[in-house]
Amino acid sequence: MSNTAIRAGKARKTVKNIFVHVILAILAFIWVLPIFWVVVTSFRGEKGSYVTTFLPKTYTFNNYIKLFTDTSILNFPRMFMNTLIIAIFVCIISTVFVLSVSYCMSRMRFKMRKPFMNIAMILGLFPSFMSMISVYYILKALNLVEGGMIRIALIIVFSAGSGVGFYVAKGFFDTIPKSLDEAAIIDGATRWQIFTRITIPLSKPIIVYTILTSFMAPWIDFIFAKVICRADAKYYTVSIGLWKMLEKEYIDSWYTCFAAGAVVVSIPIAILFMITQKYYVEGMSGAVKG
Amino acid sequence: MKKKLVSLLLVSAMAIGTLAGCGSNNAGNDDKKETTKEDNKDAASGETKDVALTVWSPQEDQDTGWLKQQCEAFNEAHPEWNVTFEYGVCPEGEAKDTVKNDVEGSADVYMLANDNIPDLVSVNGLAEIGGSYLDDIKANNSESIVSSVTYNDAVVAFPFTSNTWFMYYDKSVFSEDDIKSLDTMLEKGKVSFPLTNSWYIASFYAANGCTLFGDGTDEAAGIDFGGDKAAAVTNYLVDLAANPNFINDADGAGLAGLRDGSVNAVFSGTWDAASVEEALGENMGVAALPTVNFGDAEGTLKSFMGSKAIGVNPNADDMEVAMALAAYLAGEESQLAHYETRNVLPTNTNIDVSSDAIAQAVADVMKNTSIVQPLVSKMGQYWSPAENMGKAIIAGEVTHDNAADKTEEMNTAMNTDLAE
Amino acid sequence: MKKAEKKNKEEFKSPYTIIGAITKGNVITKLSLLIMGLGNIAHKQIVKGLMYLAVEISWLVYMIQYGFYSLSMLPSLGWREQQKVWNKEKSIFEYEAGDQSNLILLFGVATLFVTAMFIIVWRDAVKSSYKAELLAKEGSHINTFKEDFKSLFNQNLHKLLLGAPIMGVLVFTILPLIYNITMAFTNYSKLNDKMVLFDWVGIDNFKKILNIRDGIGGQFYSVLGWTLIWAVFATVLNYIFGMILAIVINRKETKAKGFWRFCFVLSIAVPQFVSLLIMRSMLQPTGIVNTLLLKYGIIDTALPFFSSPMWARVTVIVINIWVGIPYTLLQVTGILQNIPAELYEAAKIDGANTVQIFFKITLPYMLFVMTPYLITQFTGNINNFNVIFLLSGGNPTGVGDTAGSTDLLVTWLYKLTVDKSYYNLGAVIGIMTFIVLAIVSLITYRNTASYKDEEGFM
Repeated sequence: MSNTAIRAGKARKTVKNIFVHVILAILAFIWVLPIFWVVVTSFRGEKGSYVTTFLPKTYTFNNYIKLFTDTSILNFPRMFMNTLIIAIFVCIISTVFVLSVSYCMSRMRFKMRKPFMNIAMILGLFPSFMSMISVYYILKALNLVEGGMIRIALIIVFSAGSGVGFYVAKGFFDTIPKSLDEAAIIDGATRWQIFTRITIPLSKPIIVYTILTSFMAPWIDFIFAKVICRADAKYYTVSIGLWKMLEKEYIDSWYTCFAAGAVVVSIPIAILFMITQKYYVEGMSGAVKG
Repeated sequence: MKKKLVSLLLVSAMAIGTLAGCGSNNAGNDDKKETTKEDNKDAASGETKDVALTVWSPQEDQDTGWLKQQCEAFNEAHPEWNVTFEYGVCPEGEAKDTVKNDVEGSADVYMLANDNIPDLVSVNGLAEIGGSYLDDIKANNSESIVSSVTYNDAVVAFPFTSNTWFMYYDKSVFSEDDIKSLDTMLEKGKVSFPLTNSWYIASFYAANGCTLFGDGTDEAAGIDFGGDKAAAVTNYLVDLAANPNFINDADGAGLAGLRDGSVNAVFSGTWDAASVEEALGENMGVAALPTVNFGDAEGTLKSFMGSKAIGVNPNADDMEVAMALAAYLAGEESQLAHYETRNVLPTNTNIDVSSDAIAQAVADVMKNTSIVQPLVSKMGQYWSPAENMGKAIIAGEVTHDNAADKTEEMNTAMNTDLAE
Repeated sequence: MKKAEKKNKEEFKSPYTIIGAITKGNVITKLSLLIMGLGNIAHKQIVKGLMYLAVEISWLVYMIQYGFYSLSMLPSLGWREQQKVWNKEKSIFEYEAGDQSNLILLFGVATLFVTAMFIIVWRDAVKSSYKAELLAKEGSHINTFKEDFKSLFNQNLHKLLLGAPIMGVLVFTILPLIYNITMAFTNYSKLNDKMVLFDWVGIDNFKKILNIRDGIGGQFYSVLGWTLIWAVFATVLNYIFGMILAIVINRKETKAKGFWRFCFVLSIAVPQFVSLLIMRSMLQPTGIVNTLLLKYGIIDTALPFFSSPMWARVTVIVINIWVGIPYTLLQVTGILQNIPAELYEAAKIDGANTVQIFFKITLPYMLFVMTPYLITQFTGNINNFNVIFLLSGGNPTGVGDTAGSTDLLVTWLYKLTVDKSYYNLGAVIGIMTFIVLAIVSLITYRNTASYKDEEGFM
């Protein structure tokens, strides 16, 4: 091979790389743009939801101050704490549920396994808000819709059904070689030990995924929480609050606070994500090859 | 096989079921009958009766302290009752959505927008008002306000404020004469109107003689938004949407335009008064609705006029106290306090608000440029077709060529129940 | 497929059957049919026996206190109207609550549900008694409570792990679901004022919806069609773009992998309804996108993102890509790194290029692992309420229609039930959707490699 050919190959590679990076940059720009817009809106000095310039004419920090100090109409700090508490519990329960179910479906063999898997799949096909009212009455029958019990009711609502969402985690467990389990059984380990000491430590990415998705549920639901909380404003979650800011009576004076609220809500999720992101990057490579 | 878990689960399922039984309303009924008997005994012996009442109101009434003050004043005014209050937040417009999910578990006394009444009555959510309470309502309110809370010949809520919309305009752009005609206004300045909102668009059709359920109470008459008169309105609206001086007021475009000067008039209600004043300052003008020239005919825009009111839950633990409280909260003193703390315009004719420009405009609208928002259950069929019409006009899908057809289509949809 | 099912049945076949207990069991076993747990107690499985007995007693208590009443009301769904009595002395109307059909229906269904679960336990109790009897006869070892308990952490781990999740699903997903299904056979709607007391009407509602000439029936088919088109596009496009993006970012030559990934995944952190509402306002005729494009003279009239049917459909699909790709990216990245490196090395030695490697190794592997994910995505998209409800609200809607051109079955359902109070029709549409989709996805799922051969790739 001559030098020129190698150089030409290298040049082609460089061009290709630049091209790839430029495309990535454009796409990343499009992806980040709406989020950037939310952030700049949260610092916008002008009121109202309707604007004619992309960047604000004046900048201010007052939207955040108003969000956390003006608790007269919408008590955002309280809503934030409510949601945080609920989210933490939901996240723990859902993660346990999802991992348990997916492990059983992937590793255990029992009579009801296939029927359960089929049922779980079609359950997702029924629109959940249709059962909103009946879920409310079931919770009412359990005495969970008044006072402080509302928080428990919300935790149940967001986590009780999480067991059927095991498909992703099961697919992941399926890729972990069975030989590891078999070796452990020969060493005299029980199923429980295999689950907790072998499978779980090897499943960081999927655990992170499950934690992330279940942690977010209470932050983003804007229908169920309202049906459960009804008029008990003390237990509202942030999404009810954010939704209210867009109602016709409030939108004009609260729109920029709405953006600020969205930023504040995104922060815990973003932090959680940043902490856990490395598991996606390094996660599995090397550790689990069969 | 060991099925301990399953059995444990079942035990808890049983527990759930048991509790479920407690929640069913039959058990509740028995309790209620007993308490009523006891109540009577108490009243007879002249002792103080302990009552717990739940009251729902919008958040603003609670922040300003209005609700709490009034409830405490009510408690003091009635030494024979010792009432403990529990407050919940429910905006008037959302009353039906919140109450209808669980009427029994809803507040004993709650505030509502009058257009919620048909839905609330259909789920047994409102107690009828009679006797001296009814006489008071009729004596202290205008006829149109009383009719706004009358459904199936029964008055079901205590009205406390009117609910309608009018015009805010920039005095430096429009003169007193200009604002009499929408067409003149469109020549002189920029006008914003929420054409895609079905609460507003009806005003144009009503201006040219279209009616909703006759005078608003005749359900059998149906909605008459068809024929040449309605088509003329649609044609007018097509031109209006194309007019460069017209801006459709959606997503806050109207108020934002007022603020930066690109809009000179908006149509809205009392809730935007503070924002408009902030935007226009001394130039803020408030007026009833202008006239419109449809070519062959001319008419005045007619807004929907409703009210906000206080209702009593038929499941209230103590009907007597709940009714008295609702009457008190919508009474003259409370209305005055409401007006002073939150600028909620009173409906009580004994309260003089003639010095208030907005109150004057509202009074003018009610008298001259409004129709009663019909309180019949078929009114539910009006909203979507009207909104779709507004959106189709703005999107340019309705043209002069198909205006008549589209109008007929809208009229048919308004008069058909899709489930029939 | 049938073979597999048969195999499944045989694999878990047990000699301890109900029939066996009834025909061949001894007196105590037969008595266990009436008194649950008796057989276990007789064979020294005291705790287990008592637990079965406790279940039976609590079920009986429940049935006597509430259950039988609930069941007796179920056929009529209640008839007592709310009563109003004028109290002249106090000048008020006093009310006596009547029956509420929706509660009667819910508690009736709940009672049936509890009873069905009781029967399952009862069967277990009988089998367990029979088993204890047989084992005692053979002189085999009968498990003690401690041994039973220990087995929950080993061969019966699935019972321990699945207990709570299944309970949650049963009570908060399946029970409400059955209740909703029964609603389809009633006249629970605003029509003729049937909001409090309603009756069974058989299959009338189904006839109405399936009748293509009916106003609402005709719309059903068009909405169903668009729902399927939407779900296919939304799923496939997200998957393809997400995978390409992940592979590009994962290339050895790509710099700052973490940064790119972070950019694309950032949108997950913003609550979906916030970002969707922001998008909606940005794309309005007076929104920032149109305003800027008009300002710089790129277009003459505002782009009808949500007001022209075709534009609206494309817009929601495109925005759904924005929403969905971060999730696909996360998913794919994890799996990509999980593909055994040997496979790639072997392919490289054979002289395969990037594209060949993609089609020969990456894609099959991904499809194998991700089919379940794809199916959940597909069903998720069918019921993707948020994207449509928050972005277009189903609009644009024809002047005389109830369903808009971007309305999915779920959003249409929402309009029919929550906004318009036609609970019965909503339930029918829910069921019809459910049936169609369940068939489609079960067939696809059962024909995938990962279902047929779960034991592993390679």
